[in-house]
Amino acid sequence: MHEGHRVSAAADLIAGIARGDRGDFERFYDAYAALAFGLIRRILRDPEAAKEVLQEVFWQIWRDAPSYDPSRGSPEAWLVMRAKTRAIDKLRSIRRREQTFVAPVDERVAAAVGTRADDPGLAAEDRGLAQGALEQLPGPQRRAIELAFLEGLTQSEIAAKLGEPLGTVKTRIRLGLERLRAVFKVDDA
Amino acid sequence: MSRDELQELAAGYALGSLDAEDRGRFEALLRGGDEAARRALRQYEETLVRVAAERPESPPPDVKAALLARISATPRAGNGARVMPLTPRPRRSVWTVVLAGAMAAGIAAIAVGLAVSSRYERRLEALGQEAQTLKAELERQASVLAILRDPATQMVALSGLAPSPGARARMLWHEKAGGILVAAGLPPAPPGKAYQLWAIAGQAAPVPAGVFSVDAGGTGSLRVQPLPGVTRVDVFAVTLEPERGVPAPTGAMYLAGKSA
Repeated sequence: MHEGHRVSAAADLIAGIARGDRGDFERFYDAYAALAFGLIRRILRDPEAAKEVLQEVFWQIWRDAPSYDPSRGSPEAWLVMRAKTRAIDKLRSIRRREQTFVAPVDERVAAAVGTRADDPGLAAEDRGLAQGALEQLPGPQRRAIELAFLEGLTQSEIAAKLGEPLGTVKTRIRLGLERLRAVFKVDDA
Repeated sequence: MSRDELQELAAGYALGSLDAEDRGRFEALLRGGDEAARRALRQYEETLVRVAAERPESPPPDVKAALLARISATPRAGNGARVMPLTPRPRRSVWTVVLAGAMAAGIAAIAVGLAVSSRYERRLEALGQEAQTLKAELERQASVLAILRDPATQMVALSGLAPSPGARARMLWHEKAGGILVAAGLPPAPPGKAYQLWAIAGQAAPVPAGVFSVDAGGTGSLRVQPLPGVTRVDVFAVTLEPERGVPAPTGAMYLAGKSA
């Protein structure tokens, strides 16, 4: 598949959506919903929450298509970044809700539901899926990127969680993404 | 800024994981039209697209149906609001003039309506962003409140030590939910330095619990995430360290307090 063709076809669909063309919206959804949904499901284990986020993301696509700026990146990146942000927002609100409701309960009850309450997100390995490029990174790089990308932690939260200096976490994230970029041969986009 | 540092900021930004200060720095670069920053960000975003693309998952069909229904029910503003072309009338009469006048007024009203609606659109967008910010703040406060409400939360008073005897801090700590440190009376940290909080249990090595800075008035706060593997904390302490934080304390201790 020619990269240029794929990108420009997607950009054409976004332009159509910006004009209010529902057919183009449907075509864009059919082509890219699985891309967005795959990521949302890696972030959120609850299928209902994931569906809700997917709908919200594509609703934003419909609403915000006129403001899409191709010089900022491809339509896929535009979609994936939105999907990630909304899914992480949702994950954080689920975590907070669980914390608020679970925390005041008797310690034993809290301990019993602990594993689920502690981590409503799900690391990729738990889902028994095939190894992807992310899973092939050196452990510490992969862990730092997963905590950021799939669990929504900030770099200082990651540093605190792993008990490592912030500078180390920043370097690992950069080196990990650099390696992924090389694996996927992403050049100047 | 070194190339590595720029790449670090771009990588963190693409992942949405930069802390507020770094995010501000990188956004300033983007706003300033820094081409290297834009390019690095685009590359990392495309990389994350490839990561996502390794695991596509078909969504259940009801999502698409619900979306299409929502779109049909909500026509997008500025969409389809086309002014109908006027067909010239063969014979001019008083009524034609009146009609033309009424139509002109109608067109003017539509034009004004469109202008007003686009202004409201922008205003709504600004309000939407404001609401997002408020929501985030509210959620942050809700998490603080949840900690405050829980009877298992302990409060630890930290007193100033030799470098700043007048400093004071309160640490609210909950083993599962983490905690909040509020400090006052600390001298502003010198450039390249920041205060770092430590959780100490018995004879075990101090566990780093986050870095923070103070404003010109010497006040600062820190939201502390739950510390993995730490079930009991005997002492909280604050030392002055390099601004990125260190794995074990190296600097002078400014505050310390024993938990009850």
